[in-house]
Amino acid sequence: MTVPGPSDRVGALGASGADDRAGAVFGALSDPTRRALLAAIAEHPAATATELASELPISRQAVLKHLNALTDAGLLNRTRAGREVRYQFTPAPLSDAVGWMAEVGAEWDERLALLRGQLGDDVHAGPRGA
Amino acid sequence: MTDRIERELWLPATPDTVWDAVTSDGWLADHVRIDLRPGGDAQFDSDGRARSGWVEDVSVPERLIFWWAVDDEPASRVELKIEERGDGTRLRIVETRPLEVLDLVGVPLPGAGGSTYGPALVAA
Repeated sequence: MTVPGPSDRVGALGASGADDRAGAVFGALSDPTRRALLAAIAEHPAATATELASELPISRQAVLKHLNALTDAGLLNRTRAGREVRYQFTPAPLSDAVGWMAEVGAEWDERLALLRGQLGDDVHAGPRGA
Repeated sequence: MTDRIERELWLPATPDTVWDAVTSDGWLADHVRIDLRPGGDAQFDSDGRARSGWVEDVSVPERLIFWWAVDDEPASRVELKIEERGDGTRLRIVETRPLEVLDLVGVPLPGAGGSTYGPALVAA
């Protein structure tokens, strides 16, 4: 039996749907132009590609390419209004990270409280007021 | 910015005692099985939640670094550092999701009063 190396193991653990989704989000945000686009859309909700191209030093074609990448990553919503396609910022993939911090942080606080109960001062000095 | 949680605790106990406590059943999970060597398997089972992972690095009783994940969630890396301090022991915990939440500064969260992602995290 072979024991896979750590790098293989990361891959094995990472091969989940949620991880792929997170990877897409982080991949989409790794590009400075796409971050600038997101910021522009957050300031001007329901912007069109043409409007965005006028705000950024790139072509409408390039804007469309980045908008597609951001939409695929779940960071933008597309709505069609007549001949126009409007883009809206959806922060759901980001709030996932905030939720993780809160949830996992609370778990550690619980574990630390448990340890304090087991090994803390109380054991030696008797119960203390909270 | 990286998803990162840090905690620190000082305990009036020896590093060995702290090591035993943090690697025993009931702390990281109800049932803990860790093969204490780099690359070793780790299994953390609690009521209704099973995590599996592997050991990145271990040095008894001062350091344990492992990865764990629930099936459908991204894996995270946990670092436990145990250090003799004064009459006791300092336990330091760092859990990270190394998928970087890259440079999100400047991307406002709608509905968050115009605050940016970074400060929102700090406030949480």
